[in-house]
Amino acid sequence: MKAQDLVDLKQKAVGEAASAAAPSDLEAVRIKYLGRNGLLPEIMKGLKDVAPADRPEVGRLANELKNELQAAIDSRREALETASGAQKAKAFDTTLPGRWRTLGSRHPVTQIIERATSIFSTMGFTVADGPDIETEHHNFDALNTPQEHPSRDPKDTFYLASGLLLRTQTSPVQIRVMENQKPPVRIIAPGRCYRRDATDATHSANFHQIEGLYIDRQVSMADLKGDLTYFARQMMGENVQIRFRPHFFPFTEPSVEYDFSCHVCGGKGCRVCKHSGWIEISGAGMVNPKVLSNVGYNPNEVMGYAFGMGVERIAMILFGIPDIRLLYENDVRFLGQY
Amino acid sequence: MRLPISWLKDYVEFNDTPKGLADKLTFSGTEVEAIETIGSTYEGVVVAEVLKVERHPNADKLTLCTVNPGAGQMVVVCGAPNVKAGGKYPFAQVGVTLPNGLKLKKAKIRGVESEGMLCAEDELGLSTDHAGLLELEAQWAPGTPLSEVLGPPETVLDLEITPNRPDCLSIIGLAREVAAMYGTTLKIPALALAEFGRPAGELTRVEVQDADGCPRYTARIMTGVKIGPSPDWMKRRLEAAGIRAINNVVDITNYVMLECGQPLHAFDQELLEEGRIVVRRVRPGEKMATLDNIERPISESMLVIADAKKPVAVAGVMGGAGSEIRDVTHTVLLESACFKPADIRATSRKLGLSTESSYRFERGVDIGGVEWASRRAAQLMAQLAGATAAPGVIDVYPTPRASRAIPCRYSKVNEVIGLQAAAADMRRVFASLGLGASENGADACLVSVPTFRQDLEREIDLVEEFARIYGLDKIPTPSPRAELAPGASDRSVEAIYFCRNALVGLGLREIMNYSFVSGALLDLFDPNDAARRVVLPNPYSADHSTMRNSLLPQMVETLGRNAARQIREAAFFEIGRVFEKKEDGTFQEETRLAIGLMGAVGRSGFDRHHPVTEEDVFLWTKGIWEALAGTLRLSKAALADEAFAGLEAGRSVSILMDGKPIGRFGLVKAALRKEWRLSEPVGVLEVQFNPLLGRIFASRSFSPVATFPSVGRDMALIVDTSVRHEDILKIVEKVAPKELERVELFDIFAGEGIGVGKKSMAYSFTYRSSERTLTDEDANRYHENVKDAVKKSLGVEIREG
Ligand SMILES: [Zn+2]
Repeated sequence: MKAQDLVDLKQKAVGEAASAAAPSDLEAVRIKYLGRNGLLPEIMKGLKDVAPADRPEVGRLANELKNELQAAIDSRREALETASGAQKAKAFDTTLPGRWRTLGSRHPVTQIIERATSIFSTMGFTVADGPDIETEHHNFDALNTPQEHPSRDPKDTFYLASGLLLRTQTSPVQIRVMENQKPPVRIIAPGRCYRRDATDATHSANFHQIEGLYIDRQVSMADLKGDLTYFARQMMGENVQIRFRPHFFPFTEPSVEYDFSCHVCGGKGCRVCKHSGWIEISGAGMVNPKVLSNVGYNPNEVMGYAFGMGVERIAMILFGIPDIRLLYENDVRFLGQY
Repeated sequence: MRLPISWLKDYVEFNDTPKGLADKLTFSGTEVEAIETIGSTYEGVVVAEVLKVERHPNADKLTLCTVNPGAGQMVVVCGAPNVKAGGKYPFAQVGVTLPNGLKLKKAKIRGVESEGMLCAEDELGLSTDHAGLLELEAQWAPGTPLSEVLGPPETVLDLEITPNRPDCLSIIGLAREVAAMYGTTLKIPALALAEFGRPAGELTRVEVQDADGCPRYTARIMTGVKIGPSPDWMKRRLEAAGIRAINNVVDITNYVMLECGQPLHAFDQELLEEGRIVVRRVRPGEKMATLDNIERPISESMLVIADAKKPVAVAGVMGGAGSEIRDVTHTVLLESACFKPADIRATSRKLGLSTESSYRFERGVDIGGVEWASRRAAQLMAQLAGATAAPGVIDVYPTPRASRAIPCRYSKVNEVIGLQAAAADMRRVFASLGLGASENGADACLVSVPTFRQDLEREIDLVEEFARIYGLDKIPTPSPRAELAPGASDRSVEAIYFCRNALVGLGLREIMNYSFVSGALLDLFDPNDAARRVVLPNPYSADHSTMRNSLLPQMVETLGRNAARQIREAAFFEIGRVFEKKEDGTFQEETRLAIGLMGAVGRSGFDRHHPVTEEDVFLWTKGIWEALAGTLRLSKAALADEAFAGLEAGRSVSILMDGKPIGRFGLVKAALRKEWRLSEPVGVLEVQFNPLLGRIFASRSFSPVATFPSVGRDMALIVDTSVRHEDILKIVEKVAPKELERVELFDIFAGEGIGVGKKSMAYSFTYRSSERTLTDEDANRYHENVKDAVKKSLGVEIREG
């Protein structure tokens, strides 16, 4: 074995490794040179026959051959693996539809109620509830509604037997809470209400309201305005303003109707606000002292505000729903949008 | 209430646009619903005198009119039935565009050329009336522009008057508001009435038999009345306000009603028996036809105005047909009265008859202004109907209304509104509304309330008056004060949200159905519960006549509606109330959760296209329940086979909590779902909602997580098809060592190689000790015990896995 033979052998082996076409060819190269019965162990075995003076040089070259060949095999293997991986990736279709059960959805009316509830909850309001079948006392009398008030008309209200009716508003919940709890009171009452309206794009005989009530020693219309403004900004958008228009309701005095400035156009006028810049929401006011007396509160000691809002109306405004009936048709394609 | 702005300006000065006025009204509490313009400048339309009327040669219904439009003569074809030679009418020449948009072109009508057109009201944009030409007064010279006759265009505000403000059902009442808004003064017409002849007290008598129903009644006698048309200005005002002109006397009563809010009635005194008035209740058997010639079913609770013998008017609602003003009426008995609002309301409702008069009496008229209105009408009758007022007025007013004074604390006003307004501002606002305000100590004033503001009774009413006139826009917008009321808790609401979110996480969409349904829909599911249903006595349609007693009928209906729209899969839930009538007649309501499934909702990917089996849908429904019960930690919930109306036999179970039934689930009867053409199985669940929520926030304990490795063993057995999974579990449970961690059914197979009436069930068992690593020998020993027990108990063959 001569030194030059080893140099030639190294060149040949590294060349074979570099040109291997497949991992199996590469493995054959490895076995041929480095395997247990391969050429290199053969050479190491024959080292004892080499002239002692040449031995260090031949040994060094044999080691070099081993190391360089191993490096060549590794690098070639990596190259081959990368190539075959890319091929595999080509056969893997990442555009197939995903497979996992999808989430369901909450009804748009629920979404508004839950959102409103959580906004008022940050202001210290908790949720109160009452029955759908109410007494005339809670729905009308205790709320200071005169006997002859048009809202009591059987044309507009669903009466059941003996002084019972389907509540026309969530305000009776106010009465129930105040009858059972000493002030202070801070509640909101979301719930279903009923009016004998013919159903059309904006009317539904069955709808939802959210009632708010805040009673304490010192609560003013300014607090009402401030709290509703906070709500409006959380619910509709950052810069929404509130506007009061005087109105008349038997259970509040002073009474107002309140509007939100249009969250879409910022008050400049657009289709959503019918070009007025404002969106009518609902009624509110300072709880009428007669109502406070009716529930046994002393109107000289406590005062407060109450407000209502129509849930479907807010859902329609916020979600751009053109017809209230869509909310009760429960079409999957509609529900899936919210 | 319609408010013509030019009329308003008779009583109050202000300088603003109609839009500006409308905004001010709206923001002080009188909502303006619409702003309307009536009339126009009538460019090119003039007064023309008709000189000659001849028959059209080629048409029976047309005439040829020679007219004088101010200069020269023209011939026009006319189709109006009321055209007369010597009459004066609005006229437009060819070339003019009329207010209704019609441009007059040169044209032959039935062969005769028309040089212009005589106009009816609709063509002038005054109304939709096309019955005849608009007749103009003789005083107008031919050629006078019509705009001079009809005046400038009128802007009318359409107002919504809230029920607490009957005073605003009049122009003067509104003028008072406007004066307060603009800080100007109200100008009420001065009345100077000349009276002649025999005193009214000698000409008639008034007897009020029911002073409760009629606290004030005045009568005035007008003699020498000449009935005729009202002057144009009055007609225009009435029509702008929405009241049709009839004749001068009737128009005056309406005009004064609009002006001051006091309804008036004019009787032809000669038609009154003994010429006198009795205010009383209806007597048994009495009948009466009203002015509209309709026989009204008057009854004994109603108040009428009668003469010596018979009723001649339904008090405050409508006059009678036998005593109304005729063309030949000479002597008018003018009624101005005040009736009890509740009486008028009841009568109006019973008769189904609502009039301008009843509308005002129902809300309450100003009892202090009754006589003023009478005098005002008498003055106008003297001016416009040639009448003479008999001296004096008969005024039956036994208990004059005491004036009211309300103390008002300035600090209270500021406290309620959240302002720091000055006392002087408050007194100024009160004064501007016609309320007297005098100092009453350091922090209060005493506000005297005139009779026209009966709605003001308490301090809070004055707070409202101040707030709305001072301006709600001046109220500040403070940041919320988030204080917690004692005892405040939203735990129950949080529990509902938790449950709803779990359902959404399980892939269900929330729906919402109406609380009322048709009885027929409920009958489909269970005709036997009809006696317990809550039925509405006054539904608005038969489809919504009954309160739902279950959420399931509408759930299936909703699935059906979606299926009809080619939607193949749906997984729904609804949380809603149901209603029931108890045996004692009381009503009960309860919140429930319902679930409904159709289509391959329990599968993903390509499996969706395989047909679904009854077992699939049942087990999906059950799977949802198990997942929900798990996340709600309802460890006490159990299931038991049970049959239910509307559910397929053998494919329904009852849900029990602490042994009590709280719900059910299963497959909808095939016959039932076919009502909605649902061809595949439909799974439904309905359960009381509240029992689901009790354990969500219950305290939890920790069980150590096992760290030693587990050993798995399988068991496959061939059993009769009647053997149930639960039977096998029970046997296993009995003999299982504590090291048996889990048993899982992983395959069921029936068919080839198994044998008729048999099925193969394959289970995997997981053994694990919490104290040591189990050896294969340990696991074999445990598993052999289990297998032996199953073999012995069921006498079945076990195929080693
Ligand atoms: Zn807008």
